[in-house]
Amino acid sequence: MTTITKFTTLFLGVAALTLTAGLARAEDQLDAETKARVDRFEKGPATIDVSKYPDGIKDNYEVFSTKCTQCHKLSRPINCDYALPDEWSRYVKRMMRKPGSGIDSADGKKIYEFLTYDSSVRKKAMLDDKLAKLTSDEKAAAEAKIKEVHDKYDNK
Amino acid sequence: MSDELKSDLPQPSDAGPTASRSVVPIWIIVLTLLLLFLGAVYFDHHSGWFDKQVYAPYTSADELASYQPKSGAASMLTHGKAVYETYCGLCHGSDGLGKPGQAPPLAGSEWVAKDITSLARIPLAGLNGPIQVQGRDWNLSMAPMGASLSDADLSAVLTCIRESWGNKNGAVSVDEMKAARAAISGNAPSPADLAKMTPVERGHVVFQKYGCFQCHGQDAKGGVANPNAKTAEQVPSLIYVADGYTKDELKSFIMRGERTIPVLHPDQPPPPHFMPSWGNVISTNELSDLADYLFSLKPKGDNLGF
Repeated sequence: MTTITKFTTLFLGVAALTLTAGLARAEDQLDAETKARVDRFEKGPATIDVSKYPDGIKDNYEVFSTKCTQCHKLSRPINCDYALPDEWSRYVKRMMRKPGSGIDSADGKKIYEFLTYDSSVRKKAMLDDKLAKLTSDEKAAAEAKIKEVHDKYDNK
Repeated sequence: MSDELKSDLPQPSDAGPTASRSVVPIWIIVLTLLLLFLGAVYFDHHSGWFDKQVYAPYTSADELASYQPKSGAASMLTHGKAVYETYCGLCHGSDGLGKPGQAPPLAGSEWVAKDITSLARIPLAGLNGPIQVQGRDWNLSMAPMGASLSDADLSAVLTCIRESWGNKNGAVSVDEMKAARAAISGNAPSPADLAKMTPVERGHVVFQKYGCFQCHGQDAKGGVANPNAKTAEQVPSLIYVADGYTKDELKSFIMRGERTIPVLHPDQPPPPHFMPSWGNVISTNELSDLADYLFSLKPKGDNLGF
């Protein structure tokens, strides 16, 4: 009697293990997707040529490259598929709100301005593509935000 | 001579070996299963189920236990003590005196002397935030350590706590424990109540239901320690998620979770807490309510200007 109970337990255990392994694999695959995406970004160039950018933006590039490399490679944001001001605003805030990020709101704003400016120049094609997919209101709002950054830094 | 040698060598054949596949013979499968079965039977008879206390000639922990004294209250205390050492003793101490910065004392605690439901709520639901014990203030976080225990184990451990270290608060029977558990889970809102709530209110219920507060703190304000996590060695607060995520991004993050938490010091053990993936646990409606609740937490007028 005991033998049968324990043997059944053993089999149930094996079945449960198999199931857990299956679930873990499914989770791994979800993780793997994100990881593959990040890996793809990180394989790209690790610096941006800012020699033609306005001085203020060059300064902001310094903030960007010091602060963001505390936790990840600079090639990740440089080559990622964000380009719209809202995408950058969200991404920068998400990072700066992590406890211990060491990014205050002034730094956060500088990084956001740099990324928005840079996307409107270096990622122009991707940005235009994304703008074209927005509703006209959203598009106007996004363009206003890009213009705001250019007005602040261009020709100064 | 050389001709003779040559003739001895195997002649190359025209038909060389070819690769092919064949099915694993059924007798191998049957034999393997049979060996597994015999192995399991052998272990059942001889291993004492790998219990470190069981040696020959005894064959099981049950057999050993049958030699132990059997008076009701005493055996409950013995069992309760064992459960206590496993689940509570590490923080509250084997002597029930608690540990500064880890857990308040149980010996002489007025919380232990309270009614059974109030006491049982602590191991069943955990305890977070400020609490006064014997005139001293504590502000800690305890996980629902007893949520997975049976009524028998819980009643034994509560009996042990109420009847040890000079405490004389009376034993807890299994039936009393069962009633206490029912009373505690009865506090969850009914479907009719839920239907009357706003999404944000329902989301708060979801936040409590899945124990999000255990790691992210009451009202998601954070502060729970997560040693060696890059996020300042704590589990992040959630009050600013509205800044950093769209609702869809937030929902997909909650569903996916984050198994690997970046570490502060690579040479030290990984942080104990990680974000489980909730995709298989939480319902779509609950997830949507939860996102509404989390978005509602952002302090008013907190504008970064970008």
